[in-house]
Amino acid sequence: MKAGAALDVGGASKMPTTGISRGVSALGFILRVLAFICTLGSAIAMGTTNETLPFFTRFIRFRAEYDDLPTFTFFVAANGVVSGYLILSLPFSIFHIMRSAAQNSRIVLVIFDTIMLALLTAGASASAAIVYLAHKGNTKTNWFAICQQFNSFCKRISGSLIGSFGGILLFILIILLAAIALSRR
Amino acid sequence: MKSGDSTTINVPPESSAVSKGKAPLLPVAAGPASSGGWKKGIAIFDFILRLFAMVAALAAAAAMGTSDETLPLFTQFFQFQASYDDLPTFQFFVIAMALVAGYLLLSLPFSIVTIVRPFAAGPRILLLVLDTVALTLTTAAGGAAAAIVYLAHNGNSNTNWMAICQQYGDFCQKVSGAVVGSLIAAMLFVFLVVLSAMALRRI
Repeated sequence: MKAGAALDVGGASKMPTTGISRGVSALGFILRVLAFICTLGSAIAMGTTNETLPFFTRFIRFRAEYDDLPTFTFFVAANGVVSGYLILSLPFSIFHIMRSAAQNSRIVLVIFDTIMLALLTAGASASAAIVYLAHKGNTKTNWFAICQQFNSFCKRISGSLIGSFGGILLFILIILLAAIALSRR
Repeated sequence: MKSGDSTTINVPPESSAVSKGKAPLLPVAAGPASSGGWKKGIAIFDFILRLFAMVAALAAAAAMGTSDETLPLFTQFFQFQASYDDLPTFQFFVIAMALVAGYLLLSLPFSIVTIVRPFAAGPRILLLVLDTVALTLTTAAGGAAAAIVYLAHNGNSNTNWMAICQQYGDFCQKVSGAVVGSLIAAMLFVFLVVLSAMALRRI
């Protein structure tokens, strides 16, 4: 009888813990979907830049594309890889919602999340540096501000950074939620 | 009632030795000691990695901050100088790496707390979150400076941006070394975050 009572007490104290753990995992899933939308939008916005100025000389045309600058190519590739990873990690996230006691798969997901966060931040910050140069130029190194000529190209590349930085913030929250879910008893 | 449903609580003393042999309680008693040693090992490794990351971040900030170069040729009106504060991205790099090195120094006591108390989850979660933020800052500084260094080495024909490394050799070398240092610190941060996550497992 006493053992039976102990079992009941144990069962009642586990339920709210499981509920909070499920809520944390569900929030992580929602953030993952949002981050996928952000990074995919960034990759598409940067990848479809193409501006041709309406005037041209006989020899050269004035054209700006994202692969004129290798940094932007890296940005598109990084955002593409991260959004592909997010889609592939959605089934794991759903599995974590259903089974809150899974630990090893959560740690694997944290490892990959951290690597993807580093990749995304590197791509976003590198192209932020180039976008800053494109806006302001640099007198000491004689680098001319190309935004003065290519207006819509400039607006597009600046706007595509927003999605990427939003994805970075969401990744930090996802890692934090995974840590909380790991440490709950 | 004695040999009925309850086996652990209502057992008489002469069969308690048998129940000890069955060991329903022993794993719970021996568990904390063994997994505490494992978590302590992770915490010590975390402390050592933190020291290395601090050295790397400080070295990167110092290398970028002392990267002045003056070319031996000059005209009547101006000298040819290159310094890190000619480029705002490099200024951001120096400030960010100095901040990260300062954060790592201040997080060493928290790391020692996780060594002394292997089962406390609070300091570990705090370190994990702050390490993630510091990873983001380090990677941002390193990535932005790497983009500028790449431009300085190669230039860009489509935008008419000239490669300044051909003139300023020493400046370029120091700046490239600083970027490498910051990326090493970023990699160490990835390990730190993963170690904290592994040590948070409840066993």
